[in-house]
Amino acid sequence: MTRRTGARRGTRAPYLFVAPAVLLFLAFLAIPIAYAVYLSVRGLRLTGGGIFGTRQEVFVGLDNYVRTLTDPEFLAGFGRLALYGLIAVPLTLGLALLFALLLDYAGSRGRRFARTAIFLPYAIPGVTASLLWGFMYLPSTSPFSYLTRELGLGEIPFLGSGAIYPSLANIAIWGGVGFNMIIIYTSLRGIPAELSDAARIDGASEWRIAWHVKIPLVAPALVLTGLFALIGTLQVYGEPTTLKPMTTEISQTWVPLMHIYRDAFTRDDLPLASAASVILAVGTLVVSVVLLKVTQKRAFGGMS
Amino acid sequence: MGIRGGSSTFAALGMAVLLTACSSGTDAGDGAAAPQAAETGPVTLQFWCWGAGKKEKVEAFNKAHPNIQVTHTDAGGGTDTATKLLTANRAGNAPDAACLEYQTLPAMIVAGALADISAQTGDVKAAFTPEVWSLTSFDGAVYGVPQDIGPMVFVYNRKRFDELKIEVPKTWKEFAEVAADVRKKDPDAYLATFAPSEFGNFAGLAQQAGSSWWKVQDQTWTVGIADGPSTQVADYWQGLIDKGLVKAEPLLTPEWNSQLNKGNVLSWPSALWGAGVLYGIAEKQAGDWAIAPLPQWTEGDDRVAFQGGSAIVVSKNSKHAQAAATFAKWMNTDKTAYDIQIAEGEYPAALAGQEATSASEPPKLVSGQKDYWQVAAKAAQSTIPHISWGPNVSTAESAFRDATAAAVRDKTPLSEALKKTQQAVVDDMKSTGFKVAGQ
Repeated sequence: MTRRTGARRGTRAPYLFVAPAVLLFLAFLAIPIAYAVYLSVRGLRLTGGGIFGTRQEVFVGLDNYVRTLTDPEFLAGFGRLALYGLIAVPLTLGLALLFALLLDYAGSRGRRFARTAIFLPYAIPGVTASLLWGFMYLPSTSPFSYLTRELGLGEIPFLGSGAIYPSLANIAIWGGVGFNMIIIYTSLRGIPAELSDAARIDGASEWRIAWHVKIPLVAPALVLTGLFALIGTLQVYGEPTTLKPMTTEISQTWVPLMHIYRDAFTRDDLPLASAASVILAVGTLVVSVVLLKVTQKRAFGGMS
Repeated sequence: MGIRGGSSTFAALGMAVLLTACSSGTDAGDGAAAPQAAETGPVTLQFWCWGAGKKEKVEAFNKAHPNIQVTHTDAGGGTDTATKLLTANRAGNAPDAACLEYQTLPAMIVAGALADISAQTGDVKAAFTPEVWSLTSFDGAVYGVPQDIGPMVFVYNRKRFDELKIEVPKTWKEFAEVAADVRKKDPDAYLATFAPSEFGNFAGLAQQAGSSWWKVQDQTWTVGIADGPSTQVADYWQGLIDKGLVKAEPLLTPEWNSQLNKGNVLSWPSALWGAGVLYGIAEKQAGDWAIAPLPQWTEGDDRVAFQGGSAIVVSKNSKHAQAAATFAKWMNTDKTAYDIQIAEGEYPAALAGQEATSASEPPKLVSGQKDYWQVAAKAAQSTIPHISWGPNVSTAESAFRDATAAAVRDKTPLSEALKKTQQAVVDDMKSTGFKVAGQ
């Protein structure tokens, strides 16, 4: 008797427990994604009726994909992302690692204060941060340009053609270092003290301990933050959109997501935007999987 | 949000989800325009509109109409409201009535978003001049009741003009001379700025020069964004920028506002609503400013185009088209309504409203100008009739913004930017299936 009920419960219970997650996944992820894919092969085309004709949704095959992939502006957006990412990602991760190591160093003072101070910018919403920096970049309102002007050096063209990438990356770095630092720091705290102690007894300097003991042990955290940073870069949208009205450097299609937004809501072409979204999503997925595969062995295989 | 931790692998797909949420079949809510038979009880209408004074107007309407109660929502400025209305229409939940800028009407008609209210508006047609009425009527169908119009005028800082002892330019040639004079007398100041992204403004200047950006005959379109007069206007501003006589930079940014407040931007060739906009950013300069007729290409001429201005439309989704039409008419022809409008500095589209302005105080920014409303009325009477906008103005606007911004940045000719815009517009129309002549 007892064995049978146990077996029966065993067959049903897992499905019951997994049901809420599956339902939510279907309702809010799978079905919308499927609909976006469906939408991406549709197009709004003119049919008769009305004085100018009326736009109706019809099947257009892969037309939207062809248009997206042959659009030089869309592809140029990825180029700009790459340039932006090359500045933002290494600096964010580098600074986060540096701060985490400094906080972890036994001799450092005011640790709690420093941790909060470095983390604080992360708590500021991205749009607020962008506006804040925007004001600090514009010549009339910038305190930096005020200083250089007073010193007779002229204004700093923060939003000019060369400086726009570092200026934008700076906003991301300012906001992102704290978060990444916390992840790495938490990982550092998880390293058994004996390892550092042993190295110290062997005569290793703090630099050598950091380089040869701590950093290899927090590699999984570095991979994780690296992945976040990479995906975050592919999804840059808020900062350039907020700064766009302040400079002619940022076009409406500056990065891929802005391009998608423009097609969907300015040009009223949801199908085209859906196709671009699918391409971006698949691309992000591929890049993420490749990054994980490449780093998995080194990061996760080594220690466990 | 850049490199922030909160992002997940699927956030890019999330964008697709967002897109999906805003879209459904295209044929939602067909034919709701038919007059409703004897509605019982109070009807509740949803109404989207931006701008000052709309809330007061709606409250006044509700007070006067116990059977129709209107809820007002500010869905953002002209461009935002237009895009939101399109998406809401597709989802089948557009508001009953909304404000729309005249240039976005053809796109809305092509999307099948608006109800033809010609049957309900026959009684107010005579309350408008034919030029104004033609802004919302196409081939006998009426898609809205005109609310306010924006004839272009020259808005200038009279106090600074007096300080520098310069005269208001009457022609664009004089405008260039005055611009040079300003640079000589005060190196920090500019007569005006050229804002690369100001599509409506440039369209107005091009129309004044004789350009026609869209024309339609027998469902075949002609696009003239890069035609002769447009190119002439582009080359004119190019010359001013190249000689450093005007500054090419975006409008209404913290930077621009700060320069304006310092008295370094002396004028804004814009439209009648310009004084209201500037008051919002330079309250301290109230009374310093004035308006004058827009400079002309030929001396003695007085043609100007409309820039901006809006109408109240009834959406096809509306189940109460009759009530919505009643609302649209009252909002734009009743005395209570246009009195509120005038107090906010808007120039009413209705004739009675325009006449009422002569007895009104000028808006706060230009409170020192006694003949403000006379200058305004003159501009309104000199507008170019039959301005035709195309079915993809938003595409044109976004292409224009990017192309001109790039031209200013890379120091390439503005006329090339016009050609690029023209190409983008024609390509977009052709891919949608419009017949475009000569392409």
